[in-house]
Amino acid sequence: MNPGQLALAETPALRPGFAIGAAHSRQPPGDLAIWVFILAELLAFGVFFISYAVTRLHNVALFDAMQLTLDRNAGALNTVLLIAGSWCVARAVAAIKADRRAAAADFLLGAIACGGGFLVVKLFEYSAKFEAGINLATNTFYMFYLSLTFFHFMHVILGMVILLAVWLKARHGAYSAAEHHGMETGASYWHMVDLVWLVLFPLVYVMR
Amino acid sequence: MQYKSQAVARLYFIAAIGLFVAQILFGLIMGLQYVVGDFLFPAIPFNVARMVHTNALIVWLLMGFMGAAYYMVPEESETELFSPKLAVLMFWVFLAAAALTVLGYLLVPYAGLAKMTGNDLLPTMGREFLEQPLPTKVGIVVVALVFLFNITMTVLKGKKTAISLVLLLGLWGLALFFLFSFYNPDNVVKDKFYWWWVVHLWVEGVWELILGAILAFVLIKVTGVDREVIEKWLYVIVTLTLITGIIGTGHHYYWIGTPEYWQWWGSIFSALEPIPFFAMTLFAFNMVNRRRREHPNKAATLWALGTGVMSFLGAGVWGFLHTLAPVNFYTHGTQITAAHGHMAFYGAYVMVVLTMISYAMPILRGRAANPGKAQVAEMWAFWLMTVSIVFITLFLTAAGILQIWLQRVAATPMSFMDAQDQVALFYWMREWAGVVFLTGLVVYITSFFVKGETAKA
Amino acid sequence: MNARQLDLIFAALVIGTGITWWLGETGHAGPAAVVAILAIAAVKGMLIIRDFMALRGIGFFWPAMVMGWLLLVQGIILATYWKGH
Repeated sequence: MNPGQLALAETPALRPGFAIGAAHSRQPPGDLAIWVFILAELLAFGVFFISYAVTRLHNVALFDAMQLTLDRNAGALNTVLLIAGSWCVARAVAAIKADRRAAAADFLLGAIACGGGFLVVKLFEYSAKFEAGINLATNTFYMFYLSLTFFHFMHVILGMVILLAVWLKARHGAYSAAEHHGMETGASYWHMVDLVWLVLFPLVYVMR
Repeated sequence: MQYKSQAVARLYFIAAIGLFVAQILFGLIMGLQYVVGDFLFPAIPFNVARMVHTNALIVWLLMGFMGAAYYMVPEESETELFSPKLAVLMFWVFLAAAALTVLGYLLVPYAGLAKMTGNDLLPTMGREFLEQPLPTKVGIVVVALVFLFNITMTVLKGKKTAISLVLLLGLWGLALFFLFSFYNPDNVVKDKFYWWWVVHLWVEGVWELILGAILAFVLIKVTGVDREVIEKWLYVIVTLTLITGIIGTGHHYYWIGTPEYWQWWGSIFSALEPIPFFAMTLFAFNMVNRRRREHPNKAATLWALGTGVMSFLGAGVWGFLHTLAPVNFYTHGTQITAAHGHMAFYGAYVMVVLTMISYAMPILRGRAANPGKAQVAEMWAFWLMTVSIVFITLFLTAAGILQIWLQRVAATPMSFMDAQDQVALFYWMREWAGVVFLTGLVVYITSFFVKGETAKA
Repeated sequence: MNARQLDLIFAALVIGTGITWWLGETGHAGPAAVVAILAIAAVKGMLIIRDFMALRGIGFFWPAMVMGWLLLVQGIILATYWKGH
């Protein structure tokens, strides 16, 4: 679905000096290009979150009433699934640094499974809402709920595609303690997907 | 040049520049008609001049893209073009169709042209930018399909690189979205909704892929930076472009009768549209700074850097100026849009085609780069055209702000025509900036004929 | 970051999520609850950024960008909540 990400993961030897600011001496884990992409993603989500917060300010009663109709259990379960996925990915990177290649691949598979679980829970949540006749035009709260969560949903899918590519390579022994640039690239993206959900869940599901 | 069949690009480039001249002349005519309403009336009414100005722009850019593709793809695929003869044939078909269409616009009243060309069979005419008669539209589809067949077959039989794949994606998208120009529902909301699928998804979607691919190709050639590095950044830019550009279509859906959520989707995603353009600017400058060779063609490098900066300003910044729904509520359909349109088209698409021509044309003429004097002339042309487009944009922005104030914000709003009278001074200044642009274009064309010492390609 | 530390952070994140969920389920609302919820989210975010994303100790720029993003967004959320309360 996104050839760019796959190619990024496949060119581990590149450590480009695409210096945006020369002030920092050390680079974040993974390819610098993915970090530029992550910053763009964070900006997009940030704009979305702030729009939500500001709009809520003008419709507090509506937002508070509508928030109660959300499935908080599903939201919390999904939070745990994403955290578990992130933990798996972090353990995978730790494993490959110790050259435990099989364990690294297994942890990646675990993360992909967590992502899959997230999608299933989310689909149940969506179908319940759609059966209740809710759509983007229902009201401003649901416009935001559906837009924000669906935008995030697409990111989970993208993150899973990236992890899948990394897992396939890991299974073929492409990564080692000395060379795991590609795995760190995929890991960084996945943590970003987790991070934005950690803001989204309390904001949309809980705080009132 | 490395492959003989690349030579077909030359025809396309020459025709593109010819149509560029036509576009600018008609731009000057209609620019004057803004302030001298009956100038050339009834020979060339304003609506006809406008049609020729915009359609000539689109057609010459398409010519430029096709020429660029015919030049790039053999070199990227490391093989001769699938069929050079087909490419030449399609060139003449396309040129003839373009010429006939323009003549039709100029010689026949538009309603008569519609009747003559079978618009009642399948009504597609009468919509801004898609004014072409049915046979022309069908012709565009045929030419595009044959062109795509030729290019795709070349890529398939040769090496597949990221640049040619992104280019193909852009070109196929271009053809695909043009099909919506045949869809003309009676419902005005639906009509406008899909109209943007051609107009917006071209310039803020698939064309940007073509732009990215051309820029990446020229940067590899003139800087000698590793292909892997350039391709990686191309991917990042392309992904950001597609996400922001496609959902950003929403910024056209604010006030045409579509659901309210488009105001949010449109505002949020189009607010992010400057990011890929900014990335492109960084990309161009970084690659040039990290160059591993000193290419003798300095002019091409200048055009490439210019594309990076001007597309960011014109498409990114001037687009953002009026893209948020609460702002657009006041600005839509005013001279602000015209200001943005001028700088975005020039900064992104005109400049990238000129970048390609600047790089490829000397090689097509058997030398690595033009003689020093010719390059100096070309760089003068660069600055004259670029600075004058900046002024055209600034004058139109000033006209737009004043227009919005008088017509939409003031306590006692003026009518459209009364407001137009009040901003006439800015229209005059824009017209003079346009004359400078034409001067730049003349210098540009002259630069092709300046002789001097050259190294062999 | 060794495996044991990662496991501990995972546990902390799950506990944080549990508290947030409990606050929601038991109908806690109002400034105190919101401050608690946002504080938990901020701590969770920081743990992800520092330890999972491994932006700890790699200089100033990247951690500052990502943590700055988190704090800015959370700050604006809190500010709008406060204003609407």
